[in-house]
Amino acid sequence: MPLTRRGMLQHSAAGFGWMAFAALNADAARASSEFESPLAPKAPHFKAKAKRVIFLFMQGGPSHLDTFDWKPALKASGGKSSSGPSGTKGGNGRLLAPQFKFSPQGQSGLPISELFPELSQHADDLCLLNGMHTSNAAHPQATIALHTGSINFVRPSLGSWVTYGLGSESQELPGFVTINPVNLGGAQNYGSSFLPASYQGTRVDLAAGGIADIRNRHLSDDRQRSQIDLIQEMNRDLLESHPGNQELDGVIQSFELAYRMQSSVPTVLDLKTESSETVRRYGIENEETKAFGTQCLMARRLAEAGVRFIQISKNGWDQHNNLKTALKKNCGGIDQPIAALLKDLKDRGMLDETLVLWGGEFGRSPQDQANSGDGRRHNNKGYSMWMAGGGVKGGLRYGATDETGGTSVEGKIGTHDLHATILHLLGFDHTKLTYRYAGRDFRLTDVYGEVASEILA
Amino acid sequence: MMRLLVFPFAVTLSLFASHAVGAEPTESQLVFFEANIRPLLVKHCYQCHSIESGEGKGGLLLDSKEGWSSGGDSGDAIQPGDARGSLLMDSVRYENADLQMPPKYQLAEPEIEAIETWINMGAPDPRVGGKVTKKGIDWEKGKSHWAFQPISNPTPPPTKDTAWPRDDLDRFVLAKIEDAKIAPAPDATRFALIRRVTLDLTGLPPSVAEVGEFICDQESDDAALAKVVDRLLSSNAFGERWGRHWLDVARYADSVGKTRNVAFPHAWRYRNYVIDSFNQDKPYDKFIAEQLAGDLLASTSGKDRNEKIIATGLLALGSMDLNERDQDQFNLDRIDDQMDTIGRAMMGLTFGCARCHDHKFDPISQSDYYAMAGIFASTKTLSGQQNRQGGSKQYYQPNLLVRLDESLTSKPEVSTPKPFDKSKRAEVAVLKNRIAKLQNEQKKNLPRQQQERLTLQLANLNKQLSEIAKQSAAPKSKKNKNFAIEEKTDPRAVLAMAVTEGKVSNLALRVRGEPDVKGDVVPRAFPVIFKNTSPPSLSSDESGRLELAQWLTSPKHPLTARVMVNRVWAHLFGRGLVETVDNFGASGALPTHPELLDHLSSRFMKDRWSVKSLIRSIVLSRTYRLSGEHIAENATVDEDNQLHWRANLRRLEAEAIRDSLLAAGGLLETNRPGAGPFSRDFSADFSKLKPGKKGGAAPDSIAQPTRSVYLPVVRSKLPGMFTVFDFAEPDQVNGQRDVTTVPPQALFMLNNPFVIDVSRRAAERILKQELKDEATRIRYAYAYTLSRYPTEAETERATVFLKSEADQIKTWSALTQAIYSSAEFRYIP
Repeated sequence: MPLTRRGMLQHSAAGFGWMAFAALNADAARASSEFESPLAPKAPHFKAKAKRVIFLFMQGGPSHLDTFDWKPALKASGGKSSSGPSGTKGGNGRLLAPQFKFSPQGQSGLPISELFPELSQHADDLCLLNGMHTSNAAHPQATIALHTGSINFVRPSLGSWVTYGLGSESQELPGFVTINPVNLGGAQNYGSSFLPASYQGTRVDLAAGGIADIRNRHLSDDRQRSQIDLIQEMNRDLLESHPGNQELDGVIQSFELAYRMQSSVPTVLDLKTESSETVRRYGIENEETKAFGTQCLMARRLAEAGVRFIQISKNGWDQHNNLKTALKKNCGGIDQPIAALLKDLKDRGMLDETLVLWGGEFGRSPQDQANSGDGRRHNNKGYSMWMAGGGVKGGLRYGATDETGGTSVEGKIGTHDLHATILHLLGFDHTKLTYRYAGRDFRLTDVYGEVASEILA
Repeated sequence: MMRLLVFPFAVTLSLFASHAVGAEPTESQLVFFEANIRPLLVKHCYQCHSIESGEGKGGLLLDSKEGWSSGGDSGDAIQPGDARGSLLMDSVRYENADLQMPPKYQLAEPEIEAIETWINMGAPDPRVGGKVTKKGIDWEKGKSHWAFQPISNPTPPPTKDTAWPRDDLDRFVLAKIEDAKIAPAPDATRFALIRRVTLDLTGLPPSVAEVGEFICDQESDDAALAKVVDRLLSSNAFGERWGRHWLDVARYADSVGKTRNVAFPHAWRYRNYVIDSFNQDKPYDKFIAEQLAGDLLASTSGKDRNEKIIATGLLALGSMDLNERDQDQFNLDRIDDQMDTIGRAMMGLTFGCARCHDHKFDPISQSDYYAMAGIFASTKTLSGQQNRQGGSKQYYQPNLLVRLDESLTSKPEVSTPKPFDKSKRAEVAVLKNRIAKLQNEQKKNLPRQQQERLTLQLANLNKQLSEIAKQSAAPKSKKNKNFAIEEKTDPRAVLAMAVTEGKVSNLALRVRGEPDVKGDVVPRAFPVIFKNTSPPSLSSDESGRLELAQWLTSPKHPLTARVMVNRVWAHLFGRGLVETVDNFGASGALPTHPELLDHLSSRFMKDRWSVKSLIRSIVLSRTYRLSGEHIAENATVDEDNQLHWRANLRRLEAEAIRDSLLAAGGLLETNRPGAGPFSRDFSADFSKLKPGKKGGAAPDSIAQPTRSVYLPVVRSKLPGMFTVFDFAEPDQVNGQRDVTTVPPQALFMLNNPFVIDVSRRAAERILKQELKDEATRIRYAYAYTLSRYPTEAETERATVFLKSEADQIKTWSALTQAIYSSAEFRYIP
């Protein structure tokens, strides 16, 4: 046995040591075949176009009225007094006309504001969701609701449900990655709650250098590999005396994936291999687009590498005041990067199978905040998000708010409906993607959720 | 979103209200129905309201006469003959924003009119004989559920092998093994046994000396093991480990969590109370009673009294949304947290399920929920925090805590707000300013009308001012004065999270759990299903917590002892006799060994509910002593080891892994920290603290030397290592930790500076020993790290590994780190 093991050790260094070993050992081979990695790719309930999700989260409540929800009547009645939708913080007050020009874009003629000149080039790929609404007008609750479907309880996040449902396409990387997550809502936004921890989002903090403990500054790669081989020898010995033990097999696999992640994660997050044209296109060379451009390019690279759910975030969309300047700056910071991301996905034939989702936790009121002419209040009764790719109709303006944009009245999509639709696009009946916990079957959409079937391509 | 809400003017709520069935439909009525109504219902409504679609949203079925006749959750949908009084009409007309059907679009006007005509006709419907599957509670079936039967004291069954059992409990286990025609695995080696029992009882590995002593002990296994067990049970480390097990089910945390994640700077007193209770072997019934009603129990001294008050902190530790604006919602959420915690932690019942509707699986009705919830509604929960709107408010309110005083044995009072507390000061200043201005105005020579208006305004402002003064005035009674927090919180005051009696009142049932949709007021009581346990009656001038404690700790209660015994078993064997440790209801698992569970439970009660005695019996049993040896023949019969024919390999918890590493590096500080993790007035909102900034880094400081149980548990901000190794989510009861196996665990062991540092320290300690050669050093290293000697193959591998690099410390550090990274280190053998 020792000699054979030594031979096997060399295979280990090449990365498939365990399988080689398993083939030599009947009991262990049985164990190996029985162990199913929780992240192994899984088929959804039905065939679907979307295979992954890139969620561009805009925390703060971006104003739909100045970006993606063109309201001519609001333009006409700016300055007039109005009563806000009941139960919102919109309250009463003077209406504030859209502060930016809208014009029809692409062949579909989707009205998009001048804040997004680059993104507008992709208008025919966008599906504007103008009938969004959510249950709460406070940032923390609405943020957590958007990510988990629940305000009152700690529940698994959207990304963890998706990863639970589909597993991961990559054996080198985690299935769910969130880059620079916002503070509000904390780990709940990417947590797995009662779902197994393998489905939780792996947090990438660009400022703190990426993923926790991803680098060893202590041993050379060779030395670490032989250290890992030593560990794996011990693990296999233990597995040998506990044949069929899935946890021990999991430990062995976790070391191999961890070892690979040490090189795959920094590689996938390292943008140096990208051409200068690409880097320029994502706006990484400009101060104002650098931060989001970096995230967008990383998102593309993670998508290419097979990560199932990728979230990138930008905060600062809470324009109670200083709307014109701040909104212009925010949109300017993301417009070019998102356009570059969509283009790259399209060029690589990936847009069809990648659902790109853009939006915040709610939108803003048609009413002027304090009649300053430069701010809007929170509004959860009507706002916009958009989707692109992943089997949604492009060039579609779906749903609508009332005349002045305060309340969604048509094609209404609430938080649970949004989640149901996303799961549907990925091939899941949202009522059947369940997990049994504490004696009952839980699902992302609780007992709610209607798929917005009109947006399916 | 199709969600039926109850109308404010809702008709009867009875689910079974039925209508007078009119005469048989006439021919022309049938023609009308078939032409206009049936197609419309099929097209627009069946998707969500029919048996066929499997949906009866809002509890309403529209696919048969019986279906709609029995109404929905919001009451009757159709009043035959009265379209105007029919809920269905309001919803199709979109007259109520909360009840618009169909939800995505409105029916065409002719369709709406057709429905109106049909209802006014008396709603003739030929679709009779339809099934109505309204789920009610099946009380008879509920009553027969195993967990509601009285705890019996079964005689241990006879076994063929009479030499094997050590304790009566072994007879129950062996009988089942023999029934399956297999034999138990051999006993574990002494090496494995001392590691197992030391990790189990203290969460720390045995020292090399302790291993040596046990291995060399000439006494019988029974006697030698008993010595070790008694030593471990009397160490403080025992309470630190077993107290932590309880803290998991108590959803203990040092911050409130959720949206405004404000610190609980006084929670640690409860934590220490729990640890001390386990170390003192406080009878479990007393332990439970103190946590529910410590403030109402008699006490022997001021110190005793304080401990009992601290014990009630259990009820105040819930995770609450401090940003919740609706006060009713906030209060009901708090009560729900208390109901859920007590239900699952102490009874293994998921009461929370009955908040919005009758329990789907267990015989607990929504009325049962609100009857028991009334006890907590009559209790004042003092967590030191208050929900408020906006971002700049002070959530930490020391006046909402209980001040302890060791010199007193009388009931302490809730401290009351100081006169004009800070939040009111600004308001007062504004008012005073405006009054002054108006008074100046008044002095001017103004027209009468204006003078009158000024007088009115002034009167109004003065009234507001005096009301604020009234609200926040210092208490006048002498008794209260002792406890009032001074203008600046007295830095010597000892504060605790706790509960006190509140205004005694019964709760109104909330339809669908909606705070503002009130049903009947339900008198406080214990769930109906427990009638045969003769629960105490509740008086009208006390909350009922004392009675709740009496009822739960009564030997007649079928769940309290069973649930705790099962928890202990689960911690020692990796799986409970009832696998779902927090759920003994119908949706939970059945006990694998029901007689054994009852045997241990009745014994537990007879032994004064002594947790230490229970643990001692179990760890001295033969069953606990089994090796993990895999026997192929046994595995074919019982692969899952339900019969306990061998030991289960069990992953250590995050705390035990970290504490073991600290011990390995010689860093572990065994003394308890003198106070809590935060200063007494620490009121930071962790959701706003950025990592790296002062204060924000505190929760992640895993390198500090105290035992893990003393590190702050900040909700949503657990140290990375804790999250990675499946620390219990502190938002709710969690009696069984997850065991996940993910790459970040491997990355932590391979690359985390803490692990690297500990490994180096361990290597240094090993090398400091005066040992004759490399082989002996390797032998010692295995004893030091894994409490056993290496195999020949391991020695050989280690030798090769050590040779491949010159620097001795470096290479030895890498070796010890490899051993700490191995699965064996993090598994209880």
